[in-house]
Amino acid sequence: MALKATPGTSPEGICPTNIHKVVLLGSTAVGKSSLAYRYVKNDFKESLPTVGCSFFTQTLSLETGTVKFEIWDTAGQEKYHSVCHLYYRGAHAALLVYDITHKETLNRAKLWLRDLEKEFLPDEIVIALVGNKTDLAAEREVSTEEGEEFARTKGLLFMETSAKSNHLVNEIFTAIAQKLLQREQEKASAPSLSRRSTVNLGEDRGRTGCC
Amino acid sequence: EYEEKTGRAHRPLSPKQNVRKNLDFEPLSTTALILEDRPANLPAKPAEEAQKHRQQYEEMVVQAKKRELKEAQKRKKQLEERCKLEDSIGNAVLTWNNEILPNWETMCCSRKVRELWWQGIPPSVRGKVWSLAIGNELNITHELYDICLARAKEKWRSLSTGGAEVECEDAGFSAADREASLELIKLDISRTFPNLCIFQQGGPYHDTLHSILGAYTCYRPDVGYVQGMSFIAAVLILNLDTADAFIAFSNLLNKPCQMAFFRVDHGLMLTYFAAFEVFFEENLPKLFAHFKKNNLTPDIYLIDWIFTLYSKSLPLDLACRVWDVFCRDGEEFLFRTALGILKLFEDILTKMDFIHIAQFLTKLPEDLPSEEFFMSIATIQMQSRNKKWAQV
Repeated sequence: MALKATPGTSPEGICPTNIHKVVLLGSTAVGKSSLAYRYVKNDFKESLPTVGCSFFTQTLSLETGTVKFEIWDTAGQEKYHSVCHLYYRGAHAALLVYDITHKETLNRAKLWLRDLEKEFLPDEIVIALVGNKTDLAAEREVSTEEGEEFARTKGLLFMETSAKSNHLVNEIFTAIAQKLLQREQEKASAPSLSRRSTVNLGEDRGRTGCC
Repeated sequence: EYEEKTGRAHRPLSPKQNVRKNLDFEPLSTTALILEDRPANLPAKPAEEAQKHRQQYEEMVVQAKKRELKEAQKRKKQLEERCKLEDSIGNAVLTWNNEILPNWETMCCSRKVRELWWQGIPPSVRGKVWSLAIGNELNITHELYDICLARAKEKWRSLSTGGAEVECEDAGFSAADREASLELIKLDISRTFPNLCIFQQGGPYHDTLHSILGAYTCYRPDVGYVQGMSFIAAVLILNLDTADAFIAFSNLLNKPCQMAFFRVDHGLMLTYFAAFEVFFEENLPKLFAHFKKNNLTPDIYLIDWIFTLYSKSLPLDLACRVWDVFCRDGEEFLFRTALGILKLFEDILTKMDFIHIAQFLTKLPEDLPSEEFFMSIATIQMQSRNKKWAQV
């Protein structure tokens, strides 16, 4: 339904439906589904392995506006890689999730970033690097500094979270929402750019058959 | 309520109780609703009032009897239905065991058997029927399973002692891949049907599931372990002995549709989705248009359904019935089931937008009514402009 609204008709001059597609990417069992579940239901349970993609919605009200998140929680196994690009197409934001107790999951997140950089221009997507499982600090293999440093060089948002103990989960999504709104307002204040961006938005949202 | 209260208090006094016990449907609470005369120390009722009360009393008794009779009849009917169901399952077991299974080759395609098959295979013969229907094109023997399992065990051992890298590189697969695959199996086993509590660490089927998946990665290193497989193996384990489950598992995954998906052959998957859409449009044109309008592509919901053969998305008993007919009709039935689901929920789905449809279909309601569900599947025609599934 929300898709029927034509872009650019709202009084605020920003995306009127304010639906933002957020995609969760990362290795298997780093906690993508758990982060989404914690954020949307504020609960933690053992998730089944995701096959394909599962979906969540969440609406967030900030001082600067309202953001409706459409969360796409993707399958983590590398073998699913070839179908995963179906899922991040047209995303407004991406969470690259790794597990702080498994070093190679950060490398995998870096590979995801490379994929995203191929698909999107830097101002088209908000990307956050998320080191999950801070509740397992004793088994940590990736230092906070390492994640932070990488995020800084690539201009990504960064937080270390725990879906299990509910640490900074809301905060990372809120940070993404703020960044999204901030970008939209920047675009709205530059009229020519704004028109371009709403057109792009329309195309971006096209989830046409990938064939 | 009044009747019940008085009933309870007076029941032991009722003189008619013994007689009533012999009735077919014994009205319970009315038994002891007795119209008492007014105590002698009080002035008698006027005749007219007494008459009225008697009448009211009789009406109440009649009503109560009626209600109880109805309830008793309902209970009896339920009991009869259950007995009938149990009888029919019992009969079906006999038919499968004595008539069909001994003459599998000649009988498996007969109309009578196909109809019985559609009703659902009784759990006690399910494994045998699945095994026969899936077949063993690959000619896997129990010995081959033992060999594959022994190899898998060797790999696990060498992994845990750290000598894996050299070996695996020799085989042409990167050690990291292998390790990831084996580690992933371990991780996923405990995430397979967690509420059944039988595949988890320490559970009775934990090792069996581990063995079958491990043996498969040695049998087909080119396919390896793909998430979703653990559910398929688990359903087979619930119905077959270990080695037979492995044989069924390998042959099942070797079918063209399953191979296309488990090798994540994107091009072929798209071909399947495109064929599915032809039948979608044919069977449910309105919903199809709604999905198109919302850019809801089949990959959103089909990937999970096809990869796990519905075992993750449907209640287990329903999933098994889908597997029954899948064994009978082949891959076509997987897509027919998908259309059956869409049809069952057509009214709800046409009122939803993209994200809610996606959410709904990737997490179906847990209380799917099984009869309605199969009726809905039955109405789906797998023929499009005179072309059948295989031709499309």
